[in-house]
Amino acid sequence: MKTLAVVITTPPYSPLTTTAISYIEAALIADINVIGVFFYQDGAMHANKNISIASDEYQAIAQWQRLQQQYALPLHICITAAEKRGINCDSIDNEQVNNAFTVSGLGELVELTTKASRLVQF
Amino acid sequence: MTTTNQELPIILPKESGLAIINSKAPFGSSHGKDALDVALIFGSFEQKVSLFFQGDGVYQLITNQNGSLVSIKDYLKTFSAFEFYDIEDIYICRQSLVNRQLDEVFHIDGVQVVTPIEFVTAINLHQHVLRF
Repeated sequence: MKTLAVVITTPPYSPLTTTAISYIEAALIADINVIGVFFYQDGAMHANKNISIASDEYQAIAQWQRLQQQYALPLHICITAAEKRGINCDSIDNEQVNNAFTVSGLGELVELTTKASRLVQF
Repeated sequence: MTTTNQELPIILPKESGLAIINSKAPFGSSHGKDALDVALIFGSFEQKVSLFFQGDGVYQLITNQNGSLVSIKDYLKTFSAFEFYDIEDIYICRQSLVNRQLDEVFHIDGVQVVTPIEFVTAINLHQHVLRF
């Protein structure tokens, strides 16, 4: 079975976010096993719970939440990248991290890469 | 009876491992450091990883740089630890060096200076590519 892992290195306000989300959903609909999305560099900012997007703009964060819930899609953020960008991942209830996202490390990227037949970066 | 070449199967080498393309200068952004962190973690998990330097990324390999002059932790020093992580395949694009009038003098050993075509061919031997 084809397996896909996606790496997001661009921030939520990047136009690439919409492309990434459409791409991932198209893959899921095509029955491709999307084993996870890894958010690195500015990509970690997607997990910031305090992001507020103007109502007439693309609701990237809501779309990530929907994909995660609808398809049980694992969304991993790099803890080092997140904390560097002001998202505190230490507290037990992770009150600054959107609960659709899992706090992970670069080891998770290794895991996803070795399992995936294809890796795509946005 | 002879067989023709056309009938021989073309055997391509199996793609494996991760290629990391470095395309940014070392101290103007954190891309170089972020790429290094990925390379070292793959190395420590004993996964094959090769490094490619292209465009302004070639500045990361140029000798006599000092990040501390601009108060940046000099992550380039860590490049000398590549052999301990079994990172042995390091490629740099000759054309990128020529375009920037840089000499082929690097702060680590074992860097392979290759033509753009050889560069692309080497990338194609990898299953996955990340670009920073």
